[in-house]
Amino acid sequence: MTAAAIDTSPTPIEHEDVRDSRKLGFWLTLPAQLLVLFIAVFPILMQVYISLTDWSPLDGIDWWQAHQLWNSFANYTDLLDDDRFWSALGRTALVMAICVPCEFLLGLGLAILFVDNFPGRRFLYSVLLVPMMVVPAVAGYMFFMLFQSGGPVNDLLSFFAGSPVRIAWLSDPNLALFAVIVSDVWQWTPLMFLILLAGLVGVPEDQLRAATLLGASWTTRFVTIVLPRMKTIIIIALAIRVIENFKVFDNFYIMTGGGPGVATETISIYIYKVTQQELIWGYVAAVALVILITLSIVSAYAIKRMSQSRETSQ
Amino acid sequence: MNRSLPFEIFRYAAILSLVALSLIPTLWMASMAFKPIAEWSATGADLTWWPNSPTLDNFRFLFGQSSSELIVALDRTAGQPILSSLLSAVFGTLIAMISGTSAAYGLSRFGSGGNLPLALIQLRIFPPMAVMIPVMIMWAYLGLIDTWYGLALVYGIVTMPFAFWLMKTFFDDMPREIEDAALVEGCSRLRVFWKITLPMMRPALASSALFVFILNWSDYLIALLLTTRDWVTIPVYMASLSSSMTGQLYGAKAALGLIAAVPPVILGIAIQKHLVRGLTFGALKQ
Repeated sequence: MTAAAIDTSPTPIEHEDVRDSRKLGFWLTLPAQLLVLFIAVFPILMQVYISLTDWSPLDGIDWWQAHQLWNSFANYTDLLDDDRFWSALGRTALVMAICVPCEFLLGLGLAILFVDNFPGRRFLYSVLLVPMMVVPAVAGYMFFMLFQSGGPVNDLLSFFAGSPVRIAWLSDPNLALFAVIVSDVWQWTPLMFLILLAGLVGVPEDQLRAATLLGASWTTRFVTIVLPRMKTIIIIALAIRVIENFKVFDNFYIMTGGGPGVATETISIYIYKVTQQELIWGYVAAVALVILITLSIVSAYAIKRMSQSRETSQ
Repeated sequence: MNRSLPFEIFRYAAILSLVALSLIPTLWMASMAFKPIAEWSATGADLTWWPNSPTLDNFRFLFGQSSSELIVALDRTAGQPILSSLLSAVFGTLIAMISGTSAAYGLSRFGSGGNLPLALIQLRIFPPMAVMIPVMIMWAYLGLIDTWYGLALVYGIVTMPFAFWLMKTFFDDMPREIEDAALVEGCSRLRVFWKITLPMMRPALASSALFVFILNWSDYLIALLLTTRDWVTIPVYMASLSSSMTGQLYGAKAALGLIAAVPPVILGIAIQKHLVRGLTFGALKQ
């Protein structure tokens, strides 16, 4: 009892050091805290305020006087009837449901091929990462060129078909959606590959060797040893792509501008267009806020679940 | 895992075909950048995968020298947008690295920061489009629209989470014995951080900064919303290289695209080792 009491009571010098550290820690984190306050907390409060009004930058009213255009919750009730919003949301989900599994399977397949060493592995690995590094807007422009009706994609198809192919990829609603999905898969498969390969390489080799000696087939080894160890990494890789894919804008907007019509209009493109063309910012603020609140709840829940599962596994 | 000959053949075939697929779009743009105007939009039998008569005209055109074929007068040359992209990305990286690194050290050593880590993850999850309306209003009010420093400030805040998480994992990995030894010698905490920890972290700082720079350089949407004319960045300027009068200036766009694509590809390959750590917010290390 006495020994423990002596041990835990800090000596004067240590006490000072703890106070110093706390002070230094406060000052070190202050800039980051202020920046978050400046771009997240304050703007979101502002957004709540504007979302309850009919404010638009063309009204000539400063934003803090937007309460003159108060419309209570009309923006939020309008949202329920906004077909274009719901279809953009549905399309974003559809794009995600196609892109993410394609990227995952291609990335996993490539990662499996890259697990053990072979001549040229390092070089090919670097080459495969290139698409991920290309500026997404530039990638959008590349695919815009590729899918022109006189472009190389049709040229290749003509070569295989033996007769000239003139598909207008970007002006047909379904084909345009296909084209933008191709550009997304092209750009982000390398990311899946990179993360999944890092996970595969981390699977302990002695266990695999032991299983091989015991006569386990490749499939058995993969399902019983590799996959369980990869679980966290797979979840992280999928989560990253789901989050990023939900925000998708650059390559889609450059390739099609959301068109033809609204055929490739994802949620980010929808918000952008309403902001820039229809200029009803009060309504856009409401739309954006609904998305933010939904994402906050989902992400807070997911983060909590993940840190819990990590604690129990440790 | 498997060493039979058919497997090896299958492996090379699969890998090489995917490598080809991943290179074709970039190579097509690179080849387009060196094509003279006559080969830009050739169709059918005229379509060439490689420039028949390679030329630097497209690059000259971007910087204001019109040639005999390209007589379109450019409103502005590509010089200013390139400068804008560079300035905003470099200063955005500085803001992100300074605030992110110090906060990471505060959290890693002293457990300070409260809700900051969670807030930074959430900041990353939000689509930029959904938080930009108030920012646009604020920036207009502060006179920051269409300035490189206004853009740099947003870049700094948006990419700070990456700088923070990357540097936090590097600080966590660093052995504390050296710092403790210096503390015993009588150095203050701040002095230890400044004189011992940061110099030791130089390689980590460099790769984190390059990673953050790539992210800033790659932006399109934020520049589209916050710049209008004088300080548009490369991707925004690119859209102005087509009009109803001139049509698509394919070659000029491709040349500019190549200029924009080269730095991140080279830097990205240079920091390959840390890409997994950066992209997964430090959750995974290679």
